Amino acid sequence: MPVEAMASAVGTSTMEITVSKFELLRELTATQGVVERKTTIPILSNYLFEAAGDKLSLTATDLDLSLRTSCVAKVKKDGACTIPARKLHDYVKLLPDADITIKLLENHWVSIRCGRSNTKMVGMARSNFPSLPAFPTAGIIKIPAQVLRGMIAKTCFAIASEESRYTLNGALMVLKPESITMVATDGHRLAHIERSGEKFDGVSGEMKTLVPKKAMDELKSLLDSTDAESVDFAKDESTLYFRIGPRLMTSRQLTGQFPNYEAVLPKDNSKSITLHGEELSAAISRVAQFADERSRAVRLKLEKAELKLSASSTETGESEDSMETDYNGDALTIGFNAQYILDFLKAAGAGDVKLELKDAQSAGQLRPADSEDYKYRYIVMPMRI
Amino acid sequence: MDAFFVSVEELFDPSLKGKAVVVGGQRHERGVVSAASYEARKFGVHSAMPLRTAAKLCPHATFVDGHPDRYRECSEKVYRVLTSFSPLVEMASIDEAYLDMTGTERLHGRPLHAAHSLHAKMKADTQLNCSIGIGISRLIAKVSSAKAKPNGILWIVPGQEANFLAPLDIRDIPGVGKVTEQKLQGLGIHKVGDLAAFDDSFLEQQLGKWGLALAGKARGEDAGGWFDSEVGADVAAKSISHEHTYNQDTADLQQLESTLMRLSEMVGRRLRESGFHAKTIALKLRYKDFTTIIRAHTLAVPTQLDTEIFEQVRALFRRNWRKGAEVRLLGVHASSFEPQADQGDLLEDSRRQRWQQALSAADRLRDRFGESSVSLATGLKGGFRERTHENPAGLPGKRKSQES
Repeated sequence: MPVEAMASAVGTSTMEITVSKFELLRELTATQGVVERKTTIPILSNYLFEAAGDKLSLTATDLDLSLRTSCVAKVKKDGACTIPARKLHDYVKLLPDADITIKLLENHWVSIRCGRSNTKMVGMARSNFPSLPAFPTAGIIKIPAQVLRGMIAKTCFAIASEESRYTLNGALMVLKPESITMVATDGHRLAHIERSGEKFDGVSGEMKTLVPKKAMDELKSLLDSTDAESVDFAKDESTLYFRIGPRLMTSRQLTGQFPNYEAVLPKDNSKSITLHGEELSAAISRVAQFADERSRAVRLKLEKAELKLSASSTETGESEDSMETDYNGDALTIGFNAQYILDFLKAAGAGDVKLELKDAQSAGQLRPADSEDYKYRYIVMPMRI
Repeated sequence: MDAFFVSVEELFDPSLKGKAVVVGGQRHERGVVSAASYEARKFGVHSAMPLRTAAKLCPHATFVDGHPDRYRECSEKVYRVLTSFSPLVEMASIDEAYLDMTGTERLHGRPLHAAHSLHAKMKADTQLNCSIGIGISRLIAKVSSAKAKPNGILWIVPGQEANFLAPLDIRDIPGVGKVTEQKLQGLGIHKVGDLAAFDDSFLEQQLGKWGLALAGKARGEDAGGWFDSEVGADVAAKSISHEHTYNQDTADLQQLESTLMRLSEMVGRRLRESGFHAKTIALKLRYKDFTTIIRAHTLAVPTQLDTEIFEQVRALFRRNWRKGAEVRLLGVHASSFEPQADQGDLLEDSRRQRWQQALSAADRLRDRFGESSVSLATGLKGGFRERTHENPAGLPGKRKSQES
């Protein structure tokens, strides 16, 4: 073999690093969610490890969503390798708290040594790993991390999981120079939250982005475990970028038209009652035990000074609960899917909620009775009962 | 009913009377014979035969396009006559029915007497000839009515069932086709009498459940398949489908999609008629070389709207059609019937309601002016003639109300 060829072959297939178990495991855990459990493309169940300077970069992708993170490492030889993601995570969890040495061997095998433990894992060629888009250098918008986290938590449960309505498989994020809005709907209910009084440099007019459900979920869990103040957000024609501290999440954009949600926001729901959120949640949970298992329908009967909740099914029986209210209008009976109401009450957290209705056929609205910083509302279509 | 489609055509064009007539399309067209007049049958023309073959066998025949609207209308008249004789009427096809006459003797007299009144009333009310077979089972009624044709009445006196059937060909038994015939002939069975001579257990051993049913049939009993259900019992439909075979294979996307639209409309119309909402929508696609694929999609919310059915089959079509490949047949199939969804929809309800209203209005127009009186624009571009088929007019689902 010619000398040059041999040198280059060796040059592309080395990597040797030492990293603390704690640091490595933290990043492995943060990125696990991206790795597809079932994939027809084997390389997608692997991590890409890249070592350079004093840093180890880890990348996981399912082609739609990618997550790139890094941790401090002692790099003896620069280079890259790929390692089966779940197996590595499961194994590293079991290692003692000590330094781990990772070294690329022949045939893409990777040696993992820690204390008296010694493992060789079967990897794949680094060249098989898909290349990922790079973070843009311009057009970066800073979004306060905890604001974004709260807004995701209050909307993401309403995203459709049914695939036939493609544009509902994500949430709509609307950025304006001084406000941020997030909307999600599955056609049965819609969660809408708006926060004004922020300042978004670089946003002029209205910037609408459809964020896929998986990206929302991953973003939420990244935000749960960060102490970063803000998220750097950018997008180009096909990709969304969210950078949180050392972690970068990229996601393919959902294309298509999000439905005209403003048209379905109720305007004249004049029958309004204020309820204690936790009490309502407890009452619904109780009666829902006896709801039809498929439809989960519970009946809400609005009467003077009282809200009666009930559910029944031929298999299990019937159940009723009632709550005192400040209601003084005409009586009204309406049916809802119990889960839809519970989802909102959980997301809204402690405090009073307002339930605003029009009639038995029109969408009802729920919102926190007093929210100063956020305008949060939840629209639910009733069930025919 | 005797030569039903032909007789109906004769009502509209009396000059056809006494001639060799083939209903189903023109002599050069692809497609099959829906019905042939008795004169044409003498030349060997029979239903389900390719039109071109019929033209060769009987070159002087008059070829007439089918008019499903007319047949449905006449079939409904027939049904009204029948229900005036017995409440238990089962339309087995568009021109065949079973009547359970049990307990009507005081009203209509002895069986032959009742049959004669029915025959006369049928002629008076519909101007159509029918043949009537009378027996202790639907099987005997069916076989004897076939033997009574044309325009006759045949009563198999109770106790004589086996004697009546014994000399008949096994093919005369409903349900015995080429395959069963060959198997039976392999066993030396040619006549129904041969069949009756074998033990039930032997036939079961040879042909399984079907053999057991055959043994019963050979004795003149209702056995096997839908013969097991009560006359007039509502059999809930499991699916609704419509198909179209092109006269000329085509790869024209616009034509293919408008055919899908038309088929979706036809399926939607029948869903609404029967009060069903379908959760599964399937596409059937047959290429020039007869390779056939069926692809289905399950909806989140069951539907009975033409537009939603079309949206699904078009998506299935676009995903599965080999671009440029010539298509011979398209079919749209709806199944997994459910009641209307309980859960309201924020985004779609008002749109759905508008469509529901528009389509119900279109249905009423069709009831009055015929199936092709109104159609969605996409379906018009590739409009085709509805094929004549023998499903009873009221099926599936609830029987048509009498005043309709």
